[in-house]
Amino acid sequence: MDHAIAATSLTKRYGRVAAVDDVSFEIAPGEIVGFLGPNGAGKTTTLRMLAGLIRPSRGEGHVLGQRVPGNSLRDVGTMIEEPSFYPYLSGRDNLRHAALLHGGVEPGRIDAMLAFVKMEAAAGKRVRAYSQGMRQRLALARALLWRPRVLLLDEPANGLDPVGIAEIRENLRAVAREGVTVLVSSHILAEIEKLVDRILAIEKGRLVFDGPLERLLARAEALAYRYVLRATDVEALERVLREAGLAPERAGDLVAVEVDAERADALVSDLVQAGVRITEARRESDDLEDAYLRLVQADARPA
Amino acid sequence: MRGFAHVVRAEVFKVLRKRRTYVLAGLWWGLLPALVLFVGRLVHVNFGGTFVDESGGIALVVQEIASPYGIARIALIGPAYVSPTFYMIVVALLAALLIGEERGHAMWKTVLVAQPQRFPVMAGKVSVAMLALGVLMLGAATSGALFGALGTTFLPTTWAGDWTGLAWLYALQWAFCLAAVLFAFLMVFLFKNIALGVVTVFFLPGLLEGLYTLYRATVGFEPVNRLNVLFQALRLQQRLEAIPQYFFTSNLYAPARSPVADLVRAVNTGGGEIPQDALGQLLGAGITLPHAAAVMAGYAVVFGILLFWRFARHDVE
Repeated sequence: MDHAIAATSLTKRYGRVAAVDDVSFEIAPGEIVGFLGPNGAGKTTTLRMLAGLIRPSRGEGHVLGQRVPGNSLRDVGTMIEEPSFYPYLSGRDNLRHAALLHGGVEPGRIDAMLAFVKMEAAAGKRVRAYSQGMRQRLALARALLWRPRVLLLDEPANGLDPVGIAEIRENLRAVAREGVTVLVSSHILAEIEKLVDRILAIEKGRLVFDGPLERLLARAEALAYRYVLRATDVEALERVLREAGLAPERAGDLVAVEVDAERADALVSDLVQAGVRITEARRESDDLEDAYLRLVQADARPA
Repeated sequence: MRGFAHVVRAEVFKVLRKRRTYVLAGLWWGLLPALVLFVGRLVHVNFGGTFVDESGGIALVVQEIASPYGIARIALIGPAYVSPTFYMIVVALLAALLIGEERGHAMWKTVLVAQPQRFPVMAGKVSVAMLALGVLMLGAATSGALFGALGTTFLPTTWAGDWTGLAWLYALQWAFCLAAVLFAFLMVFLFKNIALGVVTVFFLPGLLEGLYTLYRATVGFEPVNRLNVLFQALRLQQRLEAIPQYFFTSNLYAPARSPVADLVRAVNTGGGEIPQDALGQLLGAGITLPHAAAVMAGYAVVFGILLFWRFARHDVE
């Protein structure tokens, strides 16, 4: 088995609309991969196909060397969209039901997982009384219950506060250290940036990027730079930038502007030549969100 | 096979933690036999030794309805007569719990990841519904006998009765309910709204049978329109008129309704003939147990194929 997860020309059509269109990628065992895309891009549909929940219109998914759906899915843990539970059962009983359904869960594993996600105290309460954060943590505990070798996580930090997001991130890091392959989707890019080494980016059902995080950042930087400028005459600065066909954004006495890579080097000298006295010029480094947005806007195709 | 066993264990765990299971058991195991015993006591106290009891028939009536055998038999018969029948209520509630809630709480995605093979999942759920129904029926028979035993302390009743025959009818009724379970699962699975699915389970068979009866009563199968001319040409008339013999509800309750004739005869202390036409529907006239068994097996096959086929192809959105 070379790949923990593989998608080959995975396509899902609803009538004439392709929710996922010819998506192919491979993920090695132990890799942690971020799956980026705006809402409706096709992330959840792709994950559902890999989890055997929906049938592809074309192409196929493989998990742990076996075609999906198949028995290898018993080694998969998932959190797909909103975490769902039987509300009339307690958190512990929901885990117990999942453990019985799967089979082969060792005694003590439920308590260990409740402790792992810091849910021991609330485990006896019915799930209908849980907050969103508690449900997310319980869903992670359930996904890990049968020691999966692959985790498919769809927006695991959705609806969480910053503390909850940090906790989920720490939990996922701990899981990844044990060699579990993780494919985690999110539209909260900061959450992904701190967790993964590789990015798959999907837009309108098509894969637009597949590569290391650094390459995504570098590629986005190659497309455009963002400058923050200060001048003695801010109005003049804005006017000159607009005349140059740029779109300045003013914030107090600072002006931010995005410039194509080929024009970036000459920006300041062009402004000086136009008579604008620049007192400060700073090039901002991209974070993942900027890079991703730039990538999507440029409508880039697979690398 | 292991997957099937896991599903059964998990679903039993869930059924045991649902309050409605105990409400159903309470109604069938407690309320029904207590009411029957109370009626037996009323009959005995109010009519025993009066002019109504000149032929000594009241003791026989009390024996038929409030003895251990009598109550156990009414616990089989009674649920087949209220509308919607108690059997259908039990089946529909089990379908809502085992199938409807998976959609209602968006749990299919969890269930089908923990147990990705779909056939064992559905087979396990059907088996648990049948198991729960079997336990409820067995409990109803047992509690009926126990309430009857209590009655022997203050009523002129004994343990006499055809217990083997009754056990056979219980077993048959339970087996016949497989078609009802598959039908209920199919309806609740097909309808996105659980309540609509349950209402369909209650009323769709009756509605279809009622429409047939209405058509037969108003238009009949005489060649008065083009459709009937077609029926005649194809020699379908006789078969169409025999359709009531294949109605779902008439056949489903055949085992539970079969002892009613004996019961009516026993409580008919006046000694007159029972008007068969008037009671035909009540007694399930014209439908033998072997015929009903064949019809229900047919329904079970059709509903089972549809249910498993639809479930296997279902996309969990």
